[in-house]
Amino acid sequence: MKKWLRSLSGRQIKLGISTVISVIIFLALTGVIALLAGRQTEQQVARRWDSEGGVAQVSCFFSPNAKITQDSIESFEHSLDNALKEASIEQDSPNPGARLWADAYSADGTITLSTDRGSIEADALGIGGDFFLFHQPLLLNGSYFSGNDLMQDYVILDRDASWQLFGSTDVVGMTVNIAGRPHMVIGVVERPSGKLYEAAGLDGTRVFVSYETLSAYGKSGGINHFEIVMPNPVKQYAENYVREQLGTPEKEVEVLENSSRYRIGKRLLLLFDFGTRSMNGKAIIYPYWENVARGYEDILALLTLFQMLFLIYPSGVVLVWIVIRWKNKTWTARTVLAALQDKWQRAGDRRREQRKSGKGKEEKSWLDDDSEEKQKRRQQKQEERRRRKLDREFQADRKKSGKR
Amino acid sequence: MDENRSKRKEWVKNAAIVFLIILLLLTFFSNTIQNYSLPEVATQYVESGSITAKIRGMGVVESGDPYNVKIKEVREVASVEVKVGDKVEAGQVLCTLTEADSQQLDQAKTDLEQKQQALETAQFNFEKQLLTGNYEVSIMQNAGDTGTVSGYLSQIYSAKNEMEAAQTKVDEWNTVIANIDMQLAYNPYSADVSKETKAVNEAQAELNVIENDLTGARNWLTSLDAQIEQEKAAISVSSGDASRLDNLLSQRLTANQNVIGLESRQRSAEQNLKNAQAALDAKKGTADLDNTLNQQKAFAQLSLGNAQAYFELKKTAYDDLIKNIGDTYALSELTDAIANAQKDVEEAQAKVDKLTSDAMGGEITAPISGLITSINVKSGVETPSDGIVFTMQPEGKGYTMSFSVTNQQATRVSVGDPAELVNAWRNDDIQVTLASIKPDPNNPGQNKLLTFDVTGESVIAGQSLNVTVGSKSANYDYLVPNSAIREDSNGKFILVITSKSSPIGTRYFASRVDVEVLASDDTKSAVSGAVESYMYVITTSTKPVEAGKQVRLANN
Repeated sequence: MKKWLRSLSGRQIKLGISTVISVIIFLALTGVIALLAGRQTEQQVARRWDSEGGVAQVSCFFSPNAKITQDSIESFEHSLDNALKEASIEQDSPNPGARLWADAYSADGTITLSTDRGSIEADALGIGGDFFLFHQPLLLNGSYFSGNDLMQDYVILDRDASWQLFGSTDVVGMTVNIAGRPHMVIGVVERPSGKLYEAAGLDGTRVFVSYETLSAYGKSGGINHFEIVMPNPVKQYAENYVREQLGTPEKEVEVLENSSRYRIGKRLLLLFDFGTRSMNGKAIIYPYWENVARGYEDILALLTLFQMLFLIYPSGVVLVWIVIRWKNKTWTARTVLAALQDKWQRAGDRRREQRKSGKGKEEKSWLDDDSEEKQKRRQQKQEERRRRKLDREFQADRKKSGKR
Repeated sequence: MDENRSKRKEWVKNAAIVFLIILLLLTFFSNTIQNYSLPEVATQYVESGSITAKIRGMGVVESGDPYNVKIKEVREVASVEVKVGDKVEAGQVLCTLTEADSQQLDQAKTDLEQKQQALETAQFNFEKQLLTGNYEVSIMQNAGDTGTVSGYLSQIYSAKNEMEAAQTKVDEWNTVIANIDMQLAYNPYSADVSKETKAVNEAQAELNVIENDLTGARNWLTSLDAQIEQEKAAISVSSGDASRLDNLLSQRLTANQNVIGLESRQRSAEQNLKNAQAALDAKKGTADLDNTLNQQKAFAQLSLGNAQAYFELKKTAYDDLIKNIGDTYALSELTDAIANAQKDVEEAQAKVDKLTSDAMGGEITAPISGLITSINVKSGVETPSDGIVFTMQPEGKGYTMSFSVTNQQATRVSVGDPAELVNAWRNDDIQVTLASIKPDPNNPGQNKLLTFDVTGESVIAGQSLNVTVGSKSANYDYLVPNSAIREDSNGKFILVITSKSSPIGTRYFASRVDVEVLASDDTKSAVSGAVESYMYVITTSTKPVEAGKQVRLANN
């Protein structure tokens, strides 16, 4: 090994070191990408829903012209049950309440909330179905609610809204008025902060209410997001099913599968879409979670680009080294075979000699012989170093004289 | 060489020391370092308790049997005298109207004037024809008439004057009656004294009861005095009981206080009786005024009847005269025109009379006692064309309230369920009961309309009430916060905390327990499954928690 290292030129050593560093950076980038993708919990619902796989999370974003209603979603849910039955996909869990799928819909809007203390106009999400199965902002107090709950007069406030309306975050069970109608505060959540989140739409006070409340007492353009986690027996089954069965014109909806959006294939495709990705011919406004997800897609695509570069460089170096070694090879298959046989024979001779020499040789104190050998080697190394140093000095003097 | 060796040994020694220190630090702080990377979770106990699934809703209180105050004419309002929520008595002025007649009356009067002009024109044409026509004496003689044209004319004028004089008399009596009506209307009190009489009777009855009680109390006091005297006498001869005397004295003190209290109540009741009597007398005084006016009105109506009969007589005479002359001189066309014009005038007059008799006068008064629930007029604006100017809640009638709920919510309630008021301390006398569950007309397939009966003294129409109604609470063995319920494709589950002790401390893990949710309310869910009391159940966490993963307990 040392002999091999000694035989390398300075350029070769530099190339080798840079190749190793590239590999290390590639591995680090791979780790960072995995970490960032793993942090997007809103895109990991399929894994949470069924850790064994076989399910997919699909999201749909509608333009206001899509005219999606609660009735159309109910109709879709009914057809999904029938389709799964036809495909012989049945629930086999012993738990009586187990479901094959869960879905949620929501609408963006604004709403005015008031208490004795004051009144605020906040960005609101009117939710239906199991919205908080898909999106779980950090709860400071209370709990989430579902569109399937008996009552739909619940409100979840963010910390800012809670502070402005009550002066506290411990306000679960208290009442806020929306258009004169009392609503119960069921939870207080922490709004994610940071440049990316603020740019994504979380730049103001936000509250969560039922879709019924938002449509009746707030300002909203109707349902514009739908999400579902459902069985995906074959690749893209769930995405295609949702796309076909929602019955919305292609121009008015965007359907995507969240489960696979951060995989390497999708990230590479994103790189190939560079320049056209920003173009949008649909009147669709993404919700904050999709904006954040798209932001991370861009970040991960950039990291993937670097990841690829740091993979290509060492791969290229190794390839060139192999080619050079191949071109300058001084061996053939026959010589390699002969060398191996020779080595095998010498090893056999050594073993035989050792057996013949027996104990007498051992009594000769091999330690002394060994130390003598080591001293010789050390002297040789020192000699070599001195020679190399002189060579370098000589080379440097020549360069200097040449310049003059 | 030895120097090199010693340097190498030194290096190895230093490296070993650094390595050991790092190892030691990591060992000591491993738990802390690990904890920072673990999701922090908040937990609560599984406990037993009750679940009450209640429906909340808000409705506006409405009159159960609203009374609409209507007028038949369109009039301009001068001022509105009441506000929504005001309690009014029958006859109380609700709003005043401007002096101008109603649009319909104005129109009818104009119409009448036109008809009268038409009648005069017809009469003039007839007279003109009579004067300018060439009537042969033979025609008159053939008809058996010995009069002349000028004689006929004078007869016509005479009959006409008499008829007009009779009409004037009728108008005069109409005016007299209208004035009496106005005086009666301006009398602010109703001649009905039943309410005051009832108040007097009640006050008298109360006084009688108190006087009876007082007599009994005084008798008892006298009796006690006698007993005390007897006991004192007995004690003086050493055969009495001191404790019995004390008891009697104590009873006397109570009886005396009772007498004083009753005497105070007697005075109060006497004052009430006096007040009620004064109110009755005052009302009776106004009733006398009403009686006088009514007598005058009756006389005027009688005179009007006579005047109208006299007018009819004169009119018939006039009509017969015209008809005879017309028949005689073949002027039936003109006489028919007069007859038709008269008929038109009569119809127009009848219309004016009807509108005048129906006219509201200058005020709109409350026809019944009750509460004003809505006002559809404003000062300076004409009354609405449908005639409804006020809506009232009749005194003693109930209120209702309704709101829409989903079909699922409607299954949780049944008719007769009492509803609780949110913020009941504001309206503690109000009772709300579910009266009916019907399909909501606005969304009959998906919603139901819950209608409640609302009773209580402080209820007013238009008031918004927040109520909760629902099934009675049921007890369950295992309750967990709603935030603890999670779900995946295997169904609903909770994550409970399990602990493992190790030399460097206790480690906590999340364990999955599959559950079935039996019932839920706003905050808690009742569950069944492999749950045990006082298990720690995870409610929230800083990061997603999976079953089997280690977690960190929140400090609180």
